[in-house]
Amino acid sequence: MTTPTKTVQPYRSALHPTRAGFGRLLRAEWTKFWTVRAWLLVLAVAAVVTVVISQMGASGSTTGGGPPVVVGPGGEVVNDSFRFTHRTLTGDGTITARVTGLKDASGKGLGPWTKAGIIVKSSLKQGSPYVAVMATPAHGVRMQWNFTHDTAGPSSDLAKAPQWLRLKRLGGKLTGYASVDGEKWTQLGEVGVGGMRGTVQVGLFLAAPVHEIVHRSFGGTSEVAGSGQATGTFDRLTFQGKSTAGGWTDTDIGAPTADGPNSQPGTTTVSPTGTYTLTGQGDIAPDENSPDTVQMSFQGVFMGLLFMVALGTLFVTTEYKRGLIRTTFTATPSRLKVLAAKTTVIAAITFTTGLLATAIGFTLAQKTLRSNGFKSPEFPDLSLLENPALRAVVGSAVLLSLVAVLALSLGVVLRNSAGTIATVVVLVILPQILSFALPLPVAQWLLRVTPAAAFAVQQGVTYYPQVQHNCLPESGCYPLSPYNGLAVLVAYAAAALLLAAWTVRRRDA
Amino acid sequence: MSHTTGATDAAEATIEVRDLRKRFGRTLAVDGLSFTVEPGTVTGFVGPNGAGKSTTMRTVLGLDAPDSGQALIGGRPYHALRTPLLEVGALLDAAALHPSRRGRDHLRWLAHSHGLPMRRVDEVLEQVGMEQASRRRAGGYSLGMRQRLGIAAALLGDPPVLLLDEPVNGLDPEGIQWIRTLLRHLASEGRAILVSSHLMSELEDTADHLVVIGRGRLIADTAVADLLTAASGDRVRLRTSSRTEAMELLAREGGTVAVIDRDTLTVTGLPAERIVELLGASRVPFAEVGAHRATLEEAYMELTRDAVEFTSTPASDADEVTR
Repeated sequence: MTTPTKTVQPYRSALHPTRAGFGRLLRAEWTKFWTVRAWLLVLAVAAVVTVVISQMGASGSTTGGGPPVVVGPGGEVVNDSFRFTHRTLTGDGTITARVTGLKDASGKGLGPWTKAGIIVKSSLKQGSPYVAVMATPAHGVRMQWNFTHDTAGPSSDLAKAPQWLRLKRLGGKLTGYASVDGEKWTQLGEVGVGGMRGTVQVGLFLAAPVHEIVHRSFGGTSEVAGSGQATGTFDRLTFQGKSTAGGWTDTDIGAPTADGPNSQPGTTTVSPTGTYTLTGQGDIAPDENSPDTVQMSFQGVFMGLLFMVALGTLFVTTEYKRGLIRTTFTATPSRLKVLAAKTTVIAAITFTTGLLATAIGFTLAQKTLRSNGFKSPEFPDLSLLENPALRAVVGSAVLLSLVAVLALSLGVVLRNSAGTIATVVVLVILPQILSFALPLPVAQWLLRVTPAAAFAVQQGVTYYPQVQHNCLPESGCYPLSPYNGLAVLVAYAAAALLLAAWTVRRRDA
Repeated sequence: MSHTTGATDAAEATIEVRDLRKRFGRTLAVDGLSFTVEPGTVTGFVGPNGAGKSTTMRTVLGLDAPDSGQALIGGRPYHALRTPLLEVGALLDAAALHPSRRGRDHLRWLAHSHGLPMRRVDEVLEQVGMEQASRRRAGGYSLGMRQRLGIAAALLGDPPVLLLDEPVNGLDPEGIQWIRTLLRHLASEGRAILVSSHLMSELEDTADHLVVIGRGRLIADTAVADLLTAASGDRVRLRTSSRTEAMELLAREGGTVAVIDRDTLTVTGLPAERIVELLGASRVPFAEVGAHRATLEEAYMELTRDAVEFTSTPASDADEVTR
């Protein structure tokens, strides 16, 4: 075979070879995005739907305002009602007592956070500052102050051995101690609490929070209300310090409105041998039962999310569907760079749009909620630039963005729009819906291990560990803390992205 | 370094396929294929549908990983190219467009990926005659417009190497003429051009060189001129209104005569001068005598007739490569 001899000068591109940097790749992917009008439309719809549905959700929620609430030193709504056997203390002093028993007085079981102990409280006014050490049935010895602070002491079992407790006031400081024998003392903590100058009230207290046990199976929820009334026995009560007025006095803090129709007056009896028996109700703890007005301002995110999933998916699957991905990989042979650029562009677009939507949606919803009766002090005045509002607004935007990245990554793996969208919806939205119906432990497990856990970032109410709380999904409670919940979604998105990186390199385009 | 300067300069505008093998499941799509596309030539890449042309092209472009063998552009594998659009232009599938993206915007993102100026987009659009249509959404394009846009995309980086998969498909006669002229022009500038087609006639007057494959294997790698010469042989083409008389006369004189149509014959074994002389002497009327020039299609048929294995299986899509 002969080839005619040629004198050909090989051609060279007249264009200057510019190294294809990542910035150029971002620009290329961004150009791809904004040049498809349908995608811009979907993005706009996502934002509008988020705002409008948040607003609708807020409009549908009203409150007539319940009984006046008690506000703690930190501004939070608290429960502050308990049986108090007390006297005044001026200046430095020490109170010591031994808790010998704690039992149910209602016949419905003893709550795990029933408290029997000694307390120093600035006044008899509800919500006033305090420091207390106490024994509990299920959580051992605790030192707590000003409602939100809780320190664990040694574990104890009142059924086996009595528990010595001591509070010492020295200067501005209060120090809590615990002991098993009244001789060797363990320091629980030392705090300086504001608003505790001059004369304060010191004494024995008993608080028995109402606790509900929720059982739920398919089709129904049953709640068993626990006691809310308990009896604590104390002895070896000693008091050192200057007391202005006489001896021990008994007061039901928070009576009579404390627990509504069920409330019964507390009792205190003293035996000749110096055994004090206190029967009481109530709790000294943050109140977590009021509606979460932060969470109530983001009801549209759930819908906006669907559009973000569609965007993340279509941004990649349409390329596979049309064969355009080959053009993309021909222009940029490094597929990981393409994946990184696509991810960055879709994450930035969905985050920015999401942030705009959640910020506007939150602001409007807050305004509506306030005019619907959700006012301070029962409900906090929330500033957009302060937590928990800021965390919820930015966190929701991050959530929308991560869901889009999850969709994009799965789109690379599955190469199919319908399959990808269905998968992401099953992962993110189905657990939420199921959590309303499944048995409670299963529902809570789902909200821990699926990407739906990320909705926890919208919670404004802080769930304190020292408050017994049935975390009911239908009440908007997520078992994980806001950041941990979001971290679950981060993990899913990262795993999907790794899977996408692995498959995109391995498979033929 | 000598490797990066001398070697690549010389081999800049080439496509080299070396012992390439690619299997999809149980189907051997490309089976030990080797060929080279030289600068300054239009190489036709011919074979029936399913012969392995597109797979070979995708492998050259680094989209499919070969099971063994190599595909090199200017001596380097595709993924080693730092600015691929300036080195290789490719049109794989004209339909690979987002339907709601405008043609111009499709070129824009490509240009952005290499930091090319937007002026370049206008230049290639003008070159393919798509200035007006590029302002419309690609979903409304005819196949011919898609082909033109695809060619514009391939030309965007002004590359020395072009790979075009079935670019003539869907073009009207005017478009076919346009692309022939364009490809000839691009080759004359010293570019290496590989154009695939499943119809040999599409490459008539375009290709200098042919790589013919069937079932993923090389059937022929030849210059078009050589192929045509071989196919034409020493046949003489004769037009006459007295076909029977002419046939008898020439056969008697030692020629082998074949009938082409009602008034055309081809004669082997007698030179043209002798035929004129014989017919003149016998007063047999004739209109035209000349050397017979085979069409590319004829040459192709002849070529593939020799490839026994290839012709024994009718050429029909994918199962044709199944073992």
